[in-house]
Amino acid sequence: MAERMVFEDRDRFLEALRRRVREGLPGERIRVITPFGVPEVEEILSPGRSNVRFFALVGAACGTAAGFALTILTSLSWPLIVGGKPVVSFPPFIIIAFALTILFGALSTFAGFLLLSRLPSLRGIRSEEEHGNAFVILVEDGERR
Amino acid sequence: MENAEKYAKVDRDILAAMEKPGRLYLAGLAVAAALTVIGGILWAHQIRTGLGVAGYTHPVNWAIYITNFVFWVGIAHSGTLISAVLFLFRARYRTSFNRAAEAMTVFALMVAGMFPLIHLGRSWVFYYLIPYPTQRQLWVNFRSPLIWDVFAVGTYFTVSVVFFYVGMLPDFAIARRCKEGIRKKIYTVLSLGWKGTDREWRHYGMLYLFLAAFATPLVASVHSVVSWDFAMSIVPGWHTTLFAPYFVAGAIFSGTAMVITLVIPLRKAMHLHDYITDDHFESIAKILLFTSLIVSYAYIVEFGMASYGENIFEMEAFRYRALGEFRYLTWAMIFCNSLVPLTLFARRLRRNTAYLLVVSLLVNVGMWLERFVIIVTSLAHDFDPYVWGTYRPTYVEVGISLGSFGLFFMLYLLFVKNLPVLSITEIKEHL
Repeated sequence: MAERMVFEDRDRFLEALRRRVREGLPGERIRVITPFGVPEVEEILSPGRSNVRFFALVGAACGTAAGFALTILTSLSWPLIVGGKPVVSFPPFIIIAFALTILFGALSTFAGFLLLSRLPSLRGIRSEEEHGNAFVILVEDGERR
Repeated sequence: MENAEKYAKVDRDILAAMEKPGRLYLAGLAVAAALTVIGGILWAHQIRTGLGVAGYTHPVNWAIYITNFVFWVGIAHSGTLISAVLFLFRARYRTSFNRAAEAMTVFALMVAGMFPLIHLGRSWVFYYLIPYPTQRQLWVNFRSPLIWDVFAVGTYFTVSVVFFYVGMLPDFAIARRCKEGIRKKIYTVLSLGWKGTDREWRHYGMLYLFLAAFATPLVASVHSVVSWDFAMSIVPGWHTTLFAPYFVAGAIFSGTAMVITLVIPLRKAMHLHDYITDDHFESIAKILLFTSLIVSYAYIVEFGMASYGENIFEMEAFRYRALGEFRYLTWAMIFCNSLVPLTLFARRLRRNTAYLLVVSLLVNVGMWLERFVIIVTSLAHDFDPYVWGTYRPTYVEVGISLGSFGLFFMLYLLFVKNLPVLSITEIKEHL
């Protein structure tokens, strides 16, 4: 690790970060640790929008498909007319598909977050290193991990 | 004050709530635990003896257990409203309530989920409700509102737990830093090794936004599905298209009242006046007032539709509700839900936490009565006068209901001492 800067103040930290990027340091080599989410960091380092959103989309779409597949296929596997309703009754099936859309979407978004943020991280759990409420800029020699 | 000092003070103040409990806390916990145990024993008694120990009669075979189910699912709703909907609307005062409200959602759903099983009588065959492949190749009937309930409440519970946990993830990392011993180990594992790197925060922001977006429609959908348990039948007093919005408004109303009931003592006991201010209570009192007005409007529409609907059964159901055997409960419900909250139009009363606590308790009572009145009066007095009946709860039903309150408050008290009661990182962000 080439360089490490620690700040107590949010604004001074952002200023230093901006300066480093302006000086031509590629965003990939900078790692930042903050005590809470600082939206400006994303603007300065511009790593692109988080891909968690694709997990949300795919999960939700799978949920809708699973909801309709479960209701329609199970109804067709024993086509019994109940209460004079058609065997494949869409209106009630929409409720199941809706619930599964939300369920699969939320779980898949969470899984996507864990995957992309590389959590749970055994190294993070074992490490005793603490930064407290400090804002830290780490500049690495090569590509960041 | 220097920034670093400010942040450290937030850590200290909020984690101080997790320090060794006082006598009052332990007494409260003991009462709640005792009620839970009594409820558990009575449930065991009911399982052993049979559902005959409940006060069910013909025609009233849905009563207090279903009332409790609807009540607790309703309580859960405002937790999601505060944590998800207010997040999307960027309402700052949400930070004061969201953790407590999310915990409330999770615990209320746990309690709610037990009641259909208690009501089943043969609780051990509850798995018939779940669609799974069997040798008999029989599947559940997806046209039944009870199956919709399984999916709606199951999804709601799962998503709420994920949302609750995700919200606490960065706070666990702080608790890990500040605590010692076995607690430190537990928080370390729960924090999943969170460090607060830019990558983690970037994905976290997107995750939180999407979870809020996924949870938001649940605020409207879950209690709509619960209301269809009733509205899908043809029982007078139940069979109306008004039910879904009526129930959703009632759910948010009762849940907001419960948040107030829980947070006012919490603020006092944990000395969190700096973080939960009177302004915040005023904002949440406005939600209470607003939803009270919607609920009152729904009462008017309900009675109005019955009176000009030319349906004698519907008319009789509402005459019976207002003037029949359960009239005192109906009037108490209108007093608590429609009249008392009107006083919150006065700014001074909205900002008076003692008064707000009284109002919120009355609203809780009123909303419980609302569900009871809807369920019991409609069943006791439907189409055919020959089968009209009445209902009186037995001690088993009352005991199990009190046990559910005991369980809820016990879980809540345990939460207060073991998890950060406010979102530390969010508070720092807004400092």
